[in-house]
Amino acid sequence: MNKLNQQLEKIKSEKRLGLMTHVVVGYPSLNETVELVRLMEKSGVDIVELQIPFSDPLADGTTIMQACEKSLINGTKVHDAFTIMTKLSREVSIPLLFMAYYNNVFKYGTQKFCKDAKAAGAAGLIVPDIPIEEEQEEHFIRFCKKYNLANIRVISPSSNANRLQKNAKVGSGFVYCTARQGITGARKKLSSKLNAYLSQVKKYFTIPLAVGFGISKPEHIKALKGNADIAVVGSALIDVIDKGDKGDMEKRVYSFIRELNVID
Amino acid sequence: MKGHFGKFGGRYVPEMLIPALEELEVAFNSALKDKSFVQEFEYYLKNFAGRPTPLVFAENLTRQLGGAKIYLKNEGLNHTGAHKITHCIGQTLIAKRMGKTRLIAETGAGQHGLATATVAAKFGFSCTVYMGEVDMVRQRPNVFLMEQLGAKVVSVSFGNKTLKDAVNAALKDYIENVSTTHYILGSVVGPHPYPTMNAYFQSIVGKEVKKQLRDDTCYLPDYVIACVGGGSNAIGIFSSFLKDLSVKLIGVEAGGKGQKIGQHARRFKGGSVGVVEGYKSYFLQNKDGQIEKTHSIAAGLDYAGIGPQLANLRDQKRVEFVSVTDKEVISAVQTLARTEGIIPALESAHAVAYAIKLAPQLSQEKTIVVNISGRGDKDLFILVEQLHDKEFYRFLESYIKKGI
Repeated sequence: MNKLNQQLEKIKSEKRLGLMTHVVVGYPSLNETVELVRLMEKSGVDIVELQIPFSDPLADGTTIMQACEKSLINGTKVHDAFTIMTKLSREVSIPLLFMAYYNNVFKYGTQKFCKDAKAAGAAGLIVPDIPIEEEQEEHFIRFCKKYNLANIRVISPSSNANRLQKNAKVGSGFVYCTARQGITGARKKLSSKLNAYLSQVKKYFTIPLAVGFGISKPEHIKALKGNADIAVVGSALIDVIDKGDKGDMEKRVYSFIRELNVID
Repeated sequence: MKGHFGKFGGRYVPEMLIPALEELEVAFNSALKDKSFVQEFEYYLKNFAGRPTPLVFAENLTRQLGGAKIYLKNEGLNHTGAHKITHCIGQTLIAKRMGKTRLIAETGAGQHGLATATVAAKFGFSCTVYMGEVDMVRQRPNVFLMEQLGAKVVSVSFGNKTLKDAVNAALKDYIENVSTTHYILGSVVGPHPYPTMNAYFQSIVGKEVKKQLRDDTCYLPDYVIACVGGGSNAIGIFSSFLKDLSVKLIGVEAGGKGQKIGQHARRFKGGSVGVVEGYKSYFLQNKDGQIEKTHSIAAGLDYAGIGPQLANLRDQKRVEFVSVTDKEVISAVQTLARTEGIIPALESAHAVAYAIKLAPQLSQEKTIVVNISGRGDKDLFILVEQLHDKEFYRFLESYIKKGI
């Protein structure tokens, strides 16, 4: 059984909301990425997604986009993401995922990317811009299966019944539901229509539901309890990293995650 | 799903955009089957845009070069000064059918943004145009005009701050506001159905040329030359000739100011296949798939990707791609102005520059058609700078002294 599935089972048996956090590989630096992931495990995070920085991240708002830009200026290469994954997957016990845009996967070679991701210890892939319809050309779903990687589909409030059905057929691990129709970035309030949308998703997916995009406060997490299985916090953490002295970055991140108060 | 051109094209977008693109595809396909839509489109092309544009025999230039006969398809005579108005009218009529109330667009040189702002005003839509910070600085006159037409122009300050970043910003707006908004993508790039839809609207250019040539002396030209940024003017004039294998089709890319990456926008010489901004094509990118910086004196050609249909036509060897430098382009503007009384846009001057090189190598029986995709008014300030026109600087100085 994949490390991710084990973790999802565990969260379920403990009857709690899981927490997935996010880092941009190479932001603020490669060493700090490693430190941050270690720290996330220590603070009780269940899953971490490691985003490979891309020059044109279509689904990302200003926060993550700028983190990607800075990481690339620092000289981060796709190869570095694999090095970090290899190192971290041996050290931490929680499952780690790669989040990437398809061009980075495609240029690396889709099969080779999946093969090397598995070898590096990744439990699954989140690639938001690889649609099901291009499978014949790209074989992304096939290679995820072949190398036992969870193929995490990202769906949104605009996904209609037809799209939900199609994605449910090929998705594995969990399904990533964007809390709103839009791009990533912390928000003050969650949409009032969120729960209705999540119940609609549950009609089609039997795997756990993760909710991300805009999640930044303990209230948001509370509101998700009982309606979703995993909360995803991305941009809000980068905001925490950016605000304040470099010296106590780790302290800030640790207390922010603890405050999110998912460990009950 | 349609929308593939060989291995290129497709719809590589996040799920959240797929329902909107499916809706657009359905609306476009149903519009094509609706005679009243086609009539309405043709009505506005004639009575608002000013089509057909003339095909001009460049008698003086032909004589001066002493080779092939050169014809100029003067798309610069379209309302707003370039071919872009054509697909803007088409898409706006589709947006109207879909019940949208807001139009958004990206723009490089400002021509597509200007055309979008124009149709938004004409057909009663609100309008936001995204423009890279770098382009906003070099194309200030168009920004002013868009604002006069009631559009909000948003400066894009991330990435390379040029056309591709404006596309990204517009796509993000589209994702967030898809229920009210139609995104008028301004070229034959992006996810399906955009490349197919814009190619359909722009195919009028080639159809007109074919008819105009038939009315004149010869039946088919030997060469058709067009500049290529995303490729809308090129595919527009090429598409009528794709099956006429005797007609050589030439796309001219921006050679910029040097061979190094970042100094040009030659996607075929320096680029490789990738998947960016929703479509698969050739892109200027590094080994990891990160998009590289590009440069061209013409903002409309300063773009890292190229339309997927053109990528496929290139791989099939149906369209040949060449490039000319910024310097050759400036000299081509001057030549065309003095010989034919036409000041072409810097983009279009790329096609002119190549024609100037090619014509003397051909016999006088041969015919070249050059697509003058836009007129050069918008480039006034760049030309002044390039030609070191001191009088113009003095004029500006005195203008500024006057104050507002």
